[in-house]
Amino acid sequence: MTPPVARTGRMRLPGDPGSTLTLSRGSGRLVRVVSTVLIAGWFLLPLAPLMVWAFANQWSFPALLPTQWGFEGLGSAIGQGALPALGASLTLSLVVAAIATPIGAMAARALTFGAVPWPRTVSVALLAPIALPPFAAVMGLNVLILRASIPPAAGLVLVLVVMAIPYTTFTMRVAYAAHDIRYEEEARILGASRWSVLWRVQLPLVAPALARAAFLAFLVGWSDYVVTVVVGGGEIVTLPLVTASLAAGIGNDAAVAILSLSAIVPPLALLALAGLAGRRPDRASSSAAPSIGERR
Amino acid sequence: MSLPLRSRRSTLLVLPALVLAVFVVAGGVGAATLQSLGLMPLIGPVRLSVDAYTGQAGALLGALGLSLAIAAASTVIAALVGVGTALLIVGGRWCGRIVAVTSAATVTIPHLIGAATVGLLLADSGVLARMFGVPPELWPSLVGGPWWVAVVLEYAWKESAFIGLVVAGTLITRVARFDEAAALLGAGRWKRFRFVMLPLALPALAISSAIVFVYTLGSYEVAWLLGRTYPEPLAVMALRLFNSASLTARPEAAAAAVLTTAVSFLVVGFCFWAVRKSAVWR
Repeated sequence: MTPPVARTGRMRLPGDPGSTLTLSRGSGRLVRVVSTVLIAGWFLLPLAPLMVWAFANQWSFPALLPTQWGFEGLGSAIGQGALPALGASLTLSLVVAAIATPIGAMAARALTFGAVPWPRTVSVALLAPIALPPFAAVMGLNVLILRASIPPAAGLVLVLVVMAIPYTTFTMRVAYAAHDIRYEEEARILGASRWSVLWRVQLPLVAPALARAAFLAFLVGWSDYVVTVVVGGGEIVTLPLVTASLAAGIGNDAAVAILSLSAIVPPLALLALAGLAGRRPDRASSSAAPSIGERR
Repeated sequence: MSLPLRSRRSTLLVLPALVLAVFVVAGGVGAATLQSLGLMPLIGPVRLSVDAYTGQAGALLGALGLSLAIAAASTVIAALVGVGTALLIVGGRWCGRIVAVTSAATVTIPHLIGAATVGLLLADSGVLARMFGVPPELWPSLVGGPWWVAVVLEYAWKESAFIGLVVAGTLITRVARFDEAAALLGAGRWKRFRFVMLPLALPALAISSAIVFVYTLGSYEVAWLLGRTYPEPLAVMALRLFNSASLTARPEAAAAAVLTTAVSFLVVGFCFWAVRKSAVWR
């Protein structure tokens, strides 16, 4: 019997999801299709108004579709500062990801392979920001940041990096737990320097996890509202801030829809890119999958 | 330092993340506590007092009750939909792929944007009211209404995607083999769910639900945009006081912040303790 080949081109392994043993049949299949439609609808329905409102110049109440289509929403969103806000959001999120990813990875590596004193306490301290309500943290910190005369932008990056640390550390701990240190030892035995082991062995092996961690850290910066409002002190205006000020008013629905779409598309584009990039090496190395990595 | 070399190297690696985290968590909570006790006034004399807590005890408890209710309702719906999402993803094939893509997309949307679009959907002149042809005066007040429906639905919508992905992540790596073994031994769909999937999903479900609960408890923008002005949840109350001009307001705002933080840490601590204690862990 030839083993069925998954669509990614990789051979099906025992334990892969969706095997014929657990496949739904008959009424079970119907339940599965209906629940898929329901859940996909639950996730997609809230996005429906954006698609229509973004292209509505006029949409008076009882009408089911806009009474006048057009791009006035785009013009008014740009007039409200959508473009600089998009730039500020992108810069802030990239800076947060660029700082939170390496320090999270370093901490995760030390906790997995090293000998950190009091490892339990350190792990808890690195996870603690997840339980800290952001508004409570910044209300206290705002005074400290003002008294230490840290510039608002630096204070904002500091708080958001800490909010991202639990995600980057956790993602990288999972990655390092499955990481085979013997590849690095082998390279060292063969005479590679610490530096070239880092660049040519360790980083390529954990690259997918690094990308996931960076994406999560990016999202922390991209999604933030309350930290930017309090610590940024009106100096830094990101997309959520512009959207909030318009959404709290009346009659800006088209501009709100345009701003919302421009806040939804960039992370989705990153996600799609990562999905495409993640698929390629899988296809190329289907036979050369690391077999000594199976020790866990 | 007398630490051995390996220990010193690991300490150096962990230090940047640790210093920043401790500064923000301890500094933030510490400064908020000092402010709430009158020990860190913006102007005026330093004087220890618990007025910020006792003077508005009724308002604080009311806000806490409302915050807990919103967080509980959102978390329950998110956990139920999240488990369904995870089961469909683990099932694989095109059903799983569609659910995985839509839920991953939902996770990336900022809550404020989610609140804005849920507002466009559920308001009395929103897209749903138009679709069903209900005039505004007959449409139930979901946005800004007495039951906080739009707020709860927004949290449930976004966070169900989060719970679904977290639970699916653990199920895919660990459970598929058990699921197949159970199927081979003749277990039907319900028995596989009840005796294989659910017990193994439980730790991830409990931890992700606790994270969703405290996130919702400490979140500001959704309740501010889609809620009503009175009564208000803790975060909205705290930021209104924080931005108000009156001098007594800062300690009162800090008191609300300290209360929220204490409840959040209690909930997360209890959940991690319970999961660790249970035999299900590993």
